[in-house]
Amino acid sequence: MNPILLRVLWNNLISIANEQARALRRTAFSPVVREAGDLAVAVLDERGRLVANAVTGAPGHINTMRTAGENFIAAFPPDTLQPGDHLITNDPWLAAAHFFDITIFSPIFYRDKVIGFVGSCIHHTDIGGYGMGAGARDIHEEGLWIPLLKLYEAGEPNKTLFHIIRTNVREPEHVLGDIAAQVSAGRIGAERIAALCERYDLEDLQQLSNAIIERSEEATRAAIRKLKPGTYRGDTIFDVPGGEEVVIKVAITIDTEKGETTTDFAGSSPPSQLGINVCLNYTKAYNAFAIHCCLNPDVPNNNGSLAPFNVIAPESSIINARYPSPVSARHVVGMHVPMPVMKALYHVLPETVLAECAGGLWSAQIFGRDRNGRAFASSMFNYSGGMGARASKRGLSATCYPAGISAVPIEVLEAEMPIVFDRKELLRGTGGKGQHAGGDGQIVKFHLKTKQPWMLNAIVSRTRHDSDGLAGAGAGAAGRFLVNGKSVSDARKLVMKPADEVVFETPGGGGFGALPRVRNAPVKKAGAAKAKKANRTVKRNDARR
Amino acid sequence: MSGYSIAIDIGGTFTDVVLRHRDGRFWVDKTLTTEDLKQGFFSAVESVLKRASCRPDMIDDVIVHATTIVTNAIIERKAPRCGLLTTEGFRDVLVIRDECRSDIFDNQLEVPEALIPYELTFAVPERTLADGTVSRKVDRKAVKEIAKRLAKEKVASVAVCLLNSYKNPESERAVRDVLQFAIPGIMVSLSAEVAPQMREYPRASTTALNAYTMPIAKPYLDALREGLRAAGFRQELLIMLSSGGVIGAEIAGSNPVRMIESGPAAGALAASFYAKLLSLPNLLSFDMGGTTAKACFIQNGQPLITTTFEVDRIYRFQQGSGLPVTVPCIDMIEIGAGGGSLAGKDSLGLLTVGPQSAGSKPGPVCYGRGGTDPTVTDSDLILGLLDAGNFLGGEMKLDEKGARHALADFGKRLNLDADQLALGIYEVVGESMASAVRAHATDRGVDWRGVPLLAFGGAGPVHACHVAELLDSTTVIYPPMASVLSAFGTLVTPLRLDLFRSDLGRLGQLDWTGVDRNISEMIEEAQSALLKAGCRKEEVRVGIAGDLRYKGQHNELTISLPSDLIEARNVEAIRAAFEAEYERTYGIKLDDVDIEVVAWRVTAFGPNVHQDEIRSQVQAAGEGSKRRPVRFSSGVYDTPVHVRSSLRPGKTLTGPVIIEERETTIVILPGWQASVDRHGCIFANREERDLEPHSAARALEQSDQYR
Repeated sequence: MNPILLRVLWNNLISIANEQARALRRTAFSPVVREAGDLAVAVLDERGRLVANAVTGAPGHINTMRTAGENFIAAFPPDTLQPGDHLITNDPWLAAAHFFDITIFSPIFYRDKVIGFVGSCIHHTDIGGYGMGAGARDIHEEGLWIPLLKLYEAGEPNKTLFHIIRTNVREPEHVLGDIAAQVSAGRIGAERIAALCERYDLEDLQQLSNAIIERSEEATRAAIRKLKPGTYRGDTIFDVPGGEEVVIKVAITIDTEKGETTTDFAGSSPPSQLGINVCLNYTKAYNAFAIHCCLNPDVPNNNGSLAPFNVIAPESSIINARYPSPVSARHVVGMHVPMPVMKALYHVLPETVLAECAGGLWSAQIFGRDRNGRAFASSMFNYSGGMGARASKRGLSATCYPAGISAVPIEVLEAEMPIVFDRKELLRGTGGKGQHAGGDGQIVKFHLKTKQPWMLNAIVSRTRHDSDGLAGAGAGAAGRFLVNGKSVSDARKLVMKPADEVVFETPGGGGFGALPRVRNAPVKKAGAAKAKKANRTVKRNDARR
Repeated sequence: MSGYSIAIDIGGTFTDVVLRHRDGRFWVDKTLTTEDLKQGFFSAVESVLKRASCRPDMIDDVIVHATTIVTNAIIERKAPRCGLLTTEGFRDVLVIRDECRSDIFDNQLEVPEALIPYELTFAVPERTLADGTVSRKVDRKAVKEIAKRLAKEKVASVAVCLLNSYKNPESERAVRDVLQFAIPGIMVSLSAEVAPQMREYPRASTTALNAYTMPIAKPYLDALREGLRAAGFRQELLIMLSSGGVIGAEIAGSNPVRMIESGPAAGALAASFYAKLLSLPNLLSFDMGGTTAKACFIQNGQPLITTTFEVDRIYRFQQGSGLPVTVPCIDMIEIGAGGGSLAGKDSLGLLTVGPQSAGSKPGPVCYGRGGTDPTVTDSDLILGLLDAGNFLGGEMKLDEKGARHALADFGKRLNLDADQLALGIYEVVGESMASAVRAHATDRGVDWRGVPLLAFGGAGPVHACHVAELLDSTTVIYPPMASVLSAFGTLVTPLRLDLFRSDLGRLGQLDWTGVDRNISEMIEEAQSALLKAGCRKEEVRVGIAGDLRYKGQHNELTISLPSDLIEARNVEAIRAAFEAEYERTYGIKLDDVDIEVVAWRVTAFGPNVHQDEIRSQVQAAGEGSKRRPVRFSSGVYDTPVHVRSSLRPGKTLTGPVIIEERETTIVILPGWQASVDRHGCIFANREERDLEPHSAARALEQSDQYR
C-alpha cells in the first residue's frame, strides 16, 4: 500500500476511534469514565485483530480489546453475523479483567460482508454484587457475570439480557444509558469506517490492517534490536488493604535476534484472598504499557506493536488470577506492574524510565445519612501519591502514574454530600531524595456532617513499604491511613462514628541518582538550573502530538 | 455626525487597524507589531486616519481594541510579584492542580509552573461551607499579619481564593477590606468576582491569572485612554474580551483575565457577522496561518463559547498541559498545522506533517532564509498552488528550485519523488486539520458534517476546499479583507458583557430566593458596565440562561431562559426547554433522571451594529488571464489564474481555478464552482451529497430501553 494512502487511512481509523471515545466520555454517567477516561474504543479487522485504538486515560485497556477480539471471533465467526448484531461480555478473563468493564462489539458491514468490528469498553457505574472494593470473597460476590452473548440480534434487543442487567445493578438508568451509548458508538463508528472504505474504494480492511500491523511490529522489533541483549531483573514489594504484602518480580529477556522481549513474572506473590487479583490480560497490558512508554511511545497500539512483548506468568499467582479468585479492585496490584518492569529496563533504557512511583491510587467511597436523615452514597474519589523521579528531572508531586486520573474537586464533593475537608496539601520532603527528587505525596483530611454512623470504603496501598529510589537515590516515604489519629488497615468497608476524622497521607515517589557530594553542589546546581531553563524553552517549542 | 469608527488589533506578529465609515467604506492598514505596544497603537491609528483624511474628533462611533498584552504577560512571566491567599489547609491549591497527567504515555512529562509561588501563598484561618454558611469567620488579625508580609515582599497585586466562595463571597470581601486598609492601593482580585464557579483549582488559577496580569494591563489601558484623550479623541476606549463581548477599558483593566483571547475572539466574531450577513447560521471559521490553524464553530449566528480553556500550555496542542481559565471564551481549536509546518518521518517510516513548524525564521525552504526541511508552503509551491513571483503581491520572491530540491531530497527517505511527496504533504495536513475539527465538534455535541467553511489566514484559502471535502462540506466562503478580519470583527460587534455564577441545585428543589438574588445582582453588574461604556439605559438588553444537565452526567447544556420563566419559577417549562435541547443534541431524552442546575448566566447587550454593505477601499485590478499547470490529487490541470480584485460581483468560475490576492491564494479544486456575491465574498460550491443527520444518539433513539 502506498505510504501516503497508508498514513491517511491509518490516521482516519485512529481518528474514528478517538471520536467515538470522546462521544462516550462526554455523555457518560459513569464517573470514572468522565473523570479518568477509563474506557477504550478500538477498530478490529475481520480476524479480530486490533488495528487502531483510541488514545484514552487507562493503560489497562491497551490489551483488553485485543483479548476481546480473539474471543469474540472464536465465539461468533464473522460469517454468522447479521447487520444489526451487537455482541457483549464482561468476562474478566475473556475481555477487560473485572465485571465493571463491559465490552461491546459491533460488526462493520460493507458490501454485504463483515470487514471488521468497532469495539468499546467502559467502566460502568455499577455491576451489582459487592460494589467497588476488594472485599468480596470470590468472583461471584463481585456482581453480574455476562458471558459472550448477543446484546442485539439483527437489530432486535435481547430483551431477556436487558431485563437481567436492569434487575442486577444498583443504578440501572445509568448502566443502561451507558450501554446504549456504547451501542451507538459502535454503530456510528462502523458507518464511518464503511464510508471511509467507500471514499477510497477499498475492497475490505485486510490490506490496510496487514500494512498497519506489519509496520508497527517491524518498528517495535527494530527498537528492541537496538537494546543490549540479556536478562534484566526488577521487583517491587508493597502492602495492600488489610496489611497483606505483595511482591511482583520480573525477569525481562531482551532477544535482539527476534526483536522481542519476554517478561517472566516467576517469584511473584500467590493469589490473594482479596479482590485484588489480576487476570493475565491486564498484567500483559501494564507490562506492554511500561515497555512501550520507555521504548517507543510514538508507535500506536495494535496487534503488531503489542506482539513482540511476551509474558510468562506462574499459574495461579496474583498477576495471573484463576477462577474463582475475586478481581474487582485489580488496579491496586495492576498499577504496580510497571514498577518492576521499569526497574529492569533501567539497565537498558536509563534515560526513559521512572523511579518507583506511589503506585495505586488512594480511593474512598462513603455511605450514610446527612443531618436531615437523607441517605447518600458517593462514588469513588481518588488521591494520588508522588511519581518517581526521572534521569533528568524530578518526579511530579501528587500525580497519578501509570493511569491519568483527575481528583474530583473538593467543592464538588462538598456540594454533593455532607463531607467537609479540613486539609489537602503536599507533604513536602516525602519524595525520595536524590540528584532528582521523587514527587511528594499529599495529606487529605476530612470528616462528615452527620449524626449517625456511616461507612467508609477505603482502598489504600503502600503504607508500610517505601517506593524505592533508582541509581543510588533515596526512597519515597510510605503513606499513612489514619482514623482519629490511629493507623487503620482493613480491606473491608469500615463502620465509622459520626465525628470520626479520616486522614490519607499518600506515599512519595522514589528519587533518581545519588545526591552529588556537597563540595560540588553549588556548581552543579547552577548548571542544573540553566539546563532546566533551556529544557523548558525547548519543550515549549517542541509541540507534541 | 460624521460616522467613523476605528479598530486596532495588536497580535503577536501584526498590528492591524481598520477605519470604517457608516456608509460601508473601509480603510485598512497592517504593520509589524512593535515592542512597545502603546507606541504601535498610536502610530497605527495615526497612519490610517491620515490615509482617510480623517481627524480624531471625527471618530464619533466606537474605538475598539483587541490586544495580546495579557497573553504576553502570562507567557513571558515577567509581571511584578503577586500573592495568593487561600483557606487554611489548602495552600497548595495551585501546585497540586487536578493531579492529572495530560499525556499518559510521556514519562518525561512536565506540568506548568504555578503562577504564584508557594512562598507568596498565605493561609487564611476561615471556612465557608458548601451551602454558603460560614463555619469559621475570617481571622482578621491573621490577615493583618499577612498584609505585613505582603508589604515587606513589595507585592502589588493579590489573588484571594477561599473555599466555596462562589456560594458566599462574604469572607473574601472581609479579607479584601483588611488588605486594602493595611496596604492602600494594593490590587485585590477576589475569586468570587473574577470567576464565581465551583471547582477550587480552576477558580484559583483564573484568579491568580487576573491578579498577575493586572499590574501590567491596568496601566497600559489607562495610558491608552489618556493618550487618546490628549490626541483629541472623544469616545471611550472599548476592549474586546475573549468571550466576544466588548466593554469599557476601565472595567477591562480590572478583569484582564477576560482579555486573554481578545484577538482570536474578534476573528470569530467577524465569522459570525458573515454568518448573519449571508444567512448561513452555521459556519466553521477556518483560519490557517504560518504556524497553526484555528477553527471555531458558529452556531445560530453565534460563535461557540466555552467557560473553560487553557493558557500557557507546556505542550501547545495538548489539552491539560496549561493553566486553566474559567471565564467565557470563544471556543476555538488550535491545530499544529500551518504553512510553516514541517514534513517528517516517524519511527514507522511514514510521513508526518507538523506540529513542528519552521515558523517565520527560518521559515519554509522557498523563503530562502536558511530553511532546509520541506514545509506545507514548499509543497504548495511545487504543486503550483502558489506562484513564486506573486507571493505577498510579488514583494517576496519564492525559491522554487530550492523547494523542489528539498522535497526531492526528503522524498528519497520515503521512496517518493518531489511531486508525490508534495501531494502527500497536502493530503496529510488536510487530513490532520479535518480530524482535529471532527474531534473538537464531537467534544461539543456539534454535527461537523456539511458545515460551510469561512476561510481566511495566509494558508487557509489554499487548503479550505480540501478540508471541506474531508468534512463532507459543499461550501467554502472567502470573505473580503480577510487579512484584517479580526480588527474588522471588533467593529461589527455590539457592546456585550457575559457574567455567570455557579449555583448547584436540583431543578425541583431550588432555593429560588438565592436564584433571584444571583440573577438580579448579575443583571445590575452587567447593566452598569454597559452604561459606563457609553450605552443608554433603554438600549441595554439582557438575556438569562442556565447551565443544566441530567444529574449524574458531567457535561452541561446552556439553555436560554426567558425571564418570565424564572420569575414564575416555572420548573416544568425549564425542564421542557432542557429536554428539547438535549434531544436535539443527543437524540434522546431520559425520563427517569433528575435535572440539575449548575450555573446561571446573564448577558447584557448594547444596540446592534448595522453593516449591510462592505466597500473596501482597495484599487481594482484589470482582468488577468494567466494560466499555469497545477497538480491536484486527480492529476495535473492547466489552470486559469485570476486576480481577486478583478472579479466583479456575479462573476462565476469553474474549478480548477486559482484566485490570487496580496496576502493569500484561493484554490478552487476540480469539481467545485466559484462565484462572487455583492459583498465581494467568493463562494465555492460543489455538488450536494446526501448527508445523513448524525448525532451520537440517533442510534440510541432506536434502542428501546428508552421507550
